[in-house]
Amino acid sequence: MKSKNYSENIIKVFKRDGFVLSEPDVLLDSDYIIQRSGENFRKLMLTFEDDTGKSMCLRPDLTVASCIKYLKDNSKANSKIFYSGQAYRRSGSSKDKVINDQLGIEILGSKNKPNDDLKVLKTIANSIEKIKIKKTSIKVGDVSLFQKLIESLKIPERWKMRLIRHFWRPKYFEDLLNRLQTNSDVDPVAVDLDKKKFSEMKNLDQNKEIASRKVSEILSRFDRKIKDPRSFRENKKIVKVIRDFLKINCSINKAERTLQGFVKKNNLNKNVFKDLSTIKNLSKINSKTMFSTNFGRDIEYYTGIVFEIYNSSKREIARGGRYDGLLKSLGSKKNISAVGAAINLNNLKT
Amino acid sequence: MKNLITIGLPSKGRLKEGSIAFLEKNNLKLISNGAERNYFAQIKDFPNIKIIYLHAKEIIQRLGDGTLDIGISGLDLLNESPINLQKKIEVKKKLDFGMANLVIAVPDDWIDVQTVADLEEVSFDFRDKKNTRLRVATKYPNLTNGFLVSKGVTQYKLVASLGATETYPFIGSSEIITDITSSGKTLKDNNLRTLKDGLILKSQACVFFSKKKAAKLQPFLNSLA
Repeated sequence: MKSKNYSENIIKVFKRDGFVLSEPDVLLDSDYIIQRSGENFRKLMLTFEDDTGKSMCLRPDLTVASCIKYLKDNSKANSKIFYSGQAYRRSGSSKDKVINDQLGIEILGSKNKPNDDLKVLKTIANSIEKIKIKKTSIKVGDVSLFQKLIESLKIPERWKMRLIRHFWRPKYFEDLLNRLQTNSDVDPVAVDLDKKKFSEMKNLDQNKEIASRKVSEILSRFDRKIKDPRSFRENKKIVKVIRDFLKINCSINKAERTLQGFVKKNNLNKNVFKDLSTIKNLSKINSKTMFSTNFGRDIEYYTGIVFEIYNSSKREIARGGRYDGLLKSLGSKKNISAVGAAINLNNLKT
Repeated sequence: MKNLITIGLPSKGRLKEGSIAFLEKNNLKLISNGAERNYFAQIKDFPNIKIIYLHAKEIIQRLGDGTLDIGISGLDLLNESPINLQKKIEVKKKLDFGMANLVIAVPDDWIDVQTVADLEEVSFDFRDKKNTRLRVATKYPNLTNGFLVSKGVTQYKLVASLGATETYPFIGSSEIITDITSSGKTLKDNNLRTLKDGLILKSQACVFFSKKKAAKLQPFLNSLA
């Protein structure tokens, strides 16, 4: 089947399942994206200055572009959309393409989460079936499980935040685990020096701002930091628990039992992974689906389930997941949950 | 002239003085036509060497486009330049002047921020509370980006600065800065402090040459001590 036919047939399935075409802008305001996604996104973007000196970019990703359109249009609470178009990215190596065809679906403002997660995976699985690709396999994960695990551990709050934030950067995450083991980020000499300053600053107007931070904010963070001792042996144990968790890889039907075994073995709170309905729900699509905890770690905006579908030669042909924080980080005032997925057309062709 | 060698020297300040002293130590005595603002000079007994005084940053650019064969400038300026330019230039020798560090500096009163890890945490706090990014003012966007991202700090926005970067946090143009410092005095005088592990680059003056001209230049370059 030719790739044009692939797209046509996939779109037919999208439409049949109730998804409506969304045509996001090709040109986006770069500063808007950087202000909200951080400077590391800039490396991906193809930018130029328009006549007014404003920095514009070609849309680097259709999920991001669709979310921006959704916010701009002030769309209704629930919106099931699909997109089909090109995304443009600066590439570091000559192997990566600058122009990428993207084809995918999103449920923005998703209310019934387990149901919508299933719906997205099902529509993607249906469309792959429709174009007659056989012997596919599915892998799922749920990044919120990692967050629940970390929340339940006895480590300082700021370490929890740190580990959760950097789950997406496996290499830096490994650095963090090593640092957690060796307790090396509070320097006693510096702390003594600053304690003097601490008492001086207590006499200042607590609402005074120093480079956009209130005196009260600085002092309370300082206080929290020095009252945050960690014992070395405990930390070693905790790092081992985290590493063991990230090794879990089993059939989706065994996910619940495996996680319970892990909880028991490590004496964790029985209710850490209380609600596994979403994962169990996904097994309806294909009982041979694999479940992995160390998965979905390359896209920062995922917050819940993540999945990938592979063809018979183990190449990824589709991927998706839940991203409940993205719309807020793109400027939405309230939380808007969302779940989506995209087909990798390049890998379908071969 | 067939074996003409064009050398770029910094046109002002300590880099200029250091460069001239370095050449004289190698028995290369500069002669100019006496006009104070003349940008060209010659070297006594070496009619095939032409000296041009340029802005230190310009020296890197001109080495890249082949106008200069050899140049003395700062390592920071080479490392900050675009990668395709860097590929065309090689360091022949590090010199013992122009020592300076590119560092991250925060307001002295941010007593809770001592390390890059603290900064990373504050940058996330900043995003969560204000829904905007921590602003970093710098004259070195490329080096700053590379360093911060490698240390897990991603929630920031660069503000391009042309000078007096030290003032930015106190006039509301940015929260923190990165800047080049030799003694640290300017930072201190402006109520800024470097982070313990916030050294981005140790810089110093270097002799650079254009890779394309390497064969022609080797005898001369090797004669420099």
